[in-house]
Amino acid sequence: MDASEVDALRVAALAAFAAADDVAGLEQARVDHLGRRSPLAAAQKTLGGLSDDGRRTLGALLNALKADITEGFEARHAALEAVELGARLEAERRDLTGPARRVRPGRPHLLTQVEAEIVDVFLGMGFSVAEGPEVESGRFNFDLLNIPPEHPARGTMDTIYVDEQDDIVLRTHTSPVQVRTMLAQRPPIAVVCPGRVYRADAVDATHSPVFTQVEGLLIAEGVTMAHLRGTLLAFARALFGDDREVRLRPSFFPFTEPSAEVDVSFDSASGWLEILGSGMVDPAVLTACGIDPARYSGFAFGIGVERVAMLRHGVSDIRDLYDADARFLAAF
Amino acid sequence: MRLPLSWLTSMVDLDLPLDDLVDRLSASGLEVEGVTTPGAGIHGVRTARVLHHEPHPDADSLRLVDVTGPDGEGEVRVVCGAANFDVGDVVLHAEVGARIPGMELEARTIRGQVSNGMLASARELGLGEDHSGLLVLDGDVALGALLEDLVPVGEPVIEIAVQPDRGDHLSVLGVARDLAALLDTTLSPPPVLAEAPSGPGISLSLETDGVGTFVAWTLEDVAVRRSPLWLRTRLAQCGVRSIDGVVDVTNYVMLELGQPLHAFDLDRLRGAALRVRAASGGEQLRTLDGVDRMLVEGDLLIEDADGPASLAGVMGGERTEVHAATRRVLLEGAVWDPAAIRRTSRRLGLVSEASTRFERRVDPEGAGRAVARAAHLMGLTAGARPTAVSESARTAGDWLARPTVEASAAGIRRLLALDLDADAQAGLLRRAHCDVTVVGERLTVVPPSWRGDLARPADLAEEVARLHGFAHIPAELPPLVARGALSAAQRLERGLREAVLAHGFDEIVTRPFVGDEVFSGVLPSDGRVRLANPLAQDAAAMRPGLLDGLLGTLRRNRGQGRAGMAVTELGRIHRPVGDPLGVALDAVVGPGWRWEGPDGQALPLQPRTLALAAFGTRGGDGWQAPTLDWEVEDVLAVLDELSRRAGVPRLERRAIVRDGWHPGRTVALLLGGVEVGVAGQLHPHTCDAWDLPESVVAGELLLEPLLVPARDEQRPSQAPRLVRHPAVVVDVAVVAPEALAIAAIMTVVREAAGALLDDLRWFDEFRGEQLPDGHRSIGLRLRLQDPDRQLSDDDADGVLKRVATAVEAVGASLRT
Repeated sequence: MDASEVDALRVAALAAFAAADDVAGLEQARVDHLGRRSPLAAAQKTLGGLSDDGRRTLGALLNALKADITEGFEARHAALEAVELGARLEAERRDLTGPARRVRPGRPHLLTQVEAEIVDVFLGMGFSVAEGPEVESGRFNFDLLNIPPEHPARGTMDTIYVDEQDDIVLRTHTSPVQVRTMLAQRPPIAVVCPGRVYRADAVDATHSPVFTQVEGLLIAEGVTMAHLRGTLLAFARALFGDDREVRLRPSFFPFTEPSAEVDVSFDSASGWLEILGSGMVDPAVLTACGIDPARYSGFAFGIGVERVAMLRHGVSDIRDLYDADARFLAAF
Repeated sequence: MRLPLSWLTSMVDLDLPLDDLVDRLSASGLEVEGVTTPGAGIHGVRTARVLHHEPHPDADSLRLVDVTGPDGEGEVRVVCGAANFDVGDVVLHAEVGARIPGMELEARTIRGQVSNGMLASARELGLGEDHSGLLVLDGDVALGALLEDLVPVGEPVIEIAVQPDRGDHLSVLGVARDLAALLDTTLSPPPVLAEAPSGPGISLSLETDGVGTFVAWTLEDVAVRRSPLWLRTRLAQCGVRSIDGVVDVTNYVMLELGQPLHAFDLDRLRGAALRVRAASGGEQLRTLDGVDRMLVEGDLLIEDADGPASLAGVMGGERTEVHAATRRVLLEGAVWDPAAIRRTSRRLGLVSEASTRFERRVDPEGAGRAVARAAHLMGLTAGARPTAVSESARTAGDWLARPTVEASAAGIRRLLALDLDADAQAGLLRRAHCDVTVVGERLTVVPPSWRGDLARPADLAEEVARLHGFAHIPAELPPLVARGALSAAQRLERGLREAVLAHGFDEIVTRPFVGDEVFSGVLPSDGRVRLANPLAQDAAAMRPGLLDGLLGTLRRNRGQGRAGMAVTELGRIHRPVGDPLGVALDAVVGPGWRWEGPDGQALPLQPRTLALAAFGTRGGDGWQAPTLDWEVEDVLAVLDELSRRAGVPRLERRAIVRDGWHPGRTVALLLGGVEVGVAGQLHPHTCDAWDLPESVVAGELLLEPLLVPARDEQRPSQAPRLVRHPAVVVDVAVVAPEALAIAAIMTVVREAAGALLDDLRWFDEFRGEQLPDGHRSIGLRLRLQDPDRQLSDDDADGVLKRVATAVEAVGASLRT
């Protein structure tokens, strides 16, 4: 085989590669021109019968031929693969602008979120969380809180009673948890008491027979009304914004004296909005719970979680919080 | 309590705009609920005398009336629908061009007759609710006078909410007195003009300590007639209906001074004596509202020779009521025990203006002044002439005690964090009419008779702060007195909630009441915590389980057209003390989850519980191919994760049959062999009854077994040893009879595989002809690993042999 024949093989092979229009066709061309039965392989087999000179000359030609053909093949292979990959990727094109196909995690209820946020504010101020039963003894819910037996709040218009049980009520506030804490623990005491409470109110847009409170109690030596105000100011700013102010207005609760309603400043349209009741723990309550009012003083407050949630999140109907409409749940 | 501004300013100097007054009241514990201006905008309404009237020729119910004109003379023709007047009466004429609330008047033709304006009823003028006829005035009023020149119609009426301990705010005088103290300005109480007559009156016998002072004046020559316009106007502004010149005065003085009064028709009282006593029970009395009342022991009553004449402090009796022909009146004012009045009023469901005031304590020294003031006014409104006075008093009732309060000015200063020395505090208290003696830091305070709320140093502290202004109390964070943190159990509870939510369940909060029919969840029983005064029959008991609330939620949302939903609730469930649930929980965690009352008595069971329920597609509405549905395994996965999170042993599962649940797809969840939960698919009948599609899946788990152990110990999770040697994975197929549960097979395999087993998974279940009847093939994947060496094929072979032997021992075999 001479150089011109080798060149012819080169031309033929490269032409075949160029003619292949897919990877499979190219593979066939590779077998034809580089495989064991190819003219190249056949030519290589003849080398053994040649003189040293002839073998050296033709060997060099064939090696160059093989390198060229291989290079030609690889270049063509890479090109065809790129085309095919491009075609595949094009075929795989998806419209990703539609709604995401997701299994979304569930969400905590708005009341849970707001309750946790309130509790966390007080945790940060050194309070712990105390818990108690929802079906409660009337003595814990009323008597020890300085609410006498004939007090209107104990009437069946206001309080839901358990049937056939002596003075067992659905707690009307979480204050009985404060009582339990005072009876079980010596001062200093700093607790918040979150939980569900009950009133004999029919369901409407602004009333619910069940609602949620976070009450707080701090008892130590030297606790003053300034501490009450400072604590509630910190709470109001944490929940509603650092620009808020609080306003205390004289009020009456059987278990605190002095007592104060607390308003938080909103925008100029809303002005001050009442968000909670508070006061200095009444000495009679301290005494009833075995704490010496001459040595210790303290404050207590009660926050309505629904009220805060509704003010902050624009909920206008309290029923939405308890009716569990999926659209409402997904909003928070 | 409604306060017409002119009434208030008649008693106290108020030199501030209305808005400031409202703010000041609200900031001082007299919360303003609203300011109204009844009759605002009235103009062109004048007094006019009826000169002549005749029937409307074309309408039976109308009259043509001629009244005097704007100058009190002339004639103006008006068409009128009322008939409660006659020639000579003075009425109010809204002339053409006049304004009354909601209307501007013009000449109008009514059934062919021109009406020049209209004659007005009380309601049309905002002077009360009466619309049954014209507002007819008493005769001696000038004609042609503008209404707004006669009475302060349209003026602001401030309504305040009265706190339970401030009964003194239930009168104009009380609020004026407080305002004078707050603003440090002059108070001018209304004058008492009547001279007390000297004649001896009816004899009084006070036989109970439920009464304090009792005053009764005898009034003669009474002529019961309509009240003058000024009186009617004030009553209307205060929301009190006008009756006549006697009753109206008792109400007027009650509003003015806070002391309820009662007028008896003296000629209807039998005998010359009144007895005041506590009922012994069984007495009967028909009250003014026409209702027969049966009295019980302890009710206070006033009786004459014929028996009960008045339910003291609550409502008078019908038998002795003042009426049109009454000539002699016994005008009574008395002070009653607040607690007794409250009990009677509550028991009878009878709340009157009088009972409201007595309940909150009236001024024990105010009865005589009020009766004298009313006697004077009845002279003006009914020609009454006082002829005799009776007065008696008991002083023994505890409720009449008026303590002298000893307080430390330093203590008050500290509590309020206000820099007020003893003299400054005394000055404030004196403004509230307290008699104060200051010795160093010691205040000795005698509060005025009308301030029953000032009995202890804390009460004085509040009064000092209130008069000084709560706004002056500084804001200061308290020193940190304790380490604040959630307990381990509280942290765990938050973690459990998060775990459920992470599985795609939305948290809901439902009202925890149920009716008669309740779905059976964990450890079902008939035990209910029933309510004595439920709000509705379908809310007659506390929920014994959580699932009803969840299923109701699914139903409502399904009704909205949702294709699927998954919800969870964490809350307390309620059972009676003796319920079997209590025994079960005690067995698992001991009694630490129970609650007790003050004397150690058991309260109803109220364990914290979690439930979840789901139906339909997981994908939600935006999903193109909603092929992934909620299945019972999703519920089981959540509950398993909860036990893992809590670090308690894996919840065992045992197939059970339970009312309302699918008999082949429901398991009890057990801890230590005791049921603590249930999970499964609902029975088709249940789905049907709840208007839900098949299949609904649900679960309920008592959380106390997870939370109580966390309360007692800190159990930080420990890091696992991460083995570097490669694992050997071996798949086996166990051919087992259907009755052999997968849990049992896996337990056997786990034990047989021994220490080398790192992980065991169930990846296949197969039934087919190749298998014996009633058998299935369970595919299990064993992951083997040794922390200290690389495993060989021999190790795997050894495990396989042990597994083969073990499964054969329970009636199964390895398929090869």
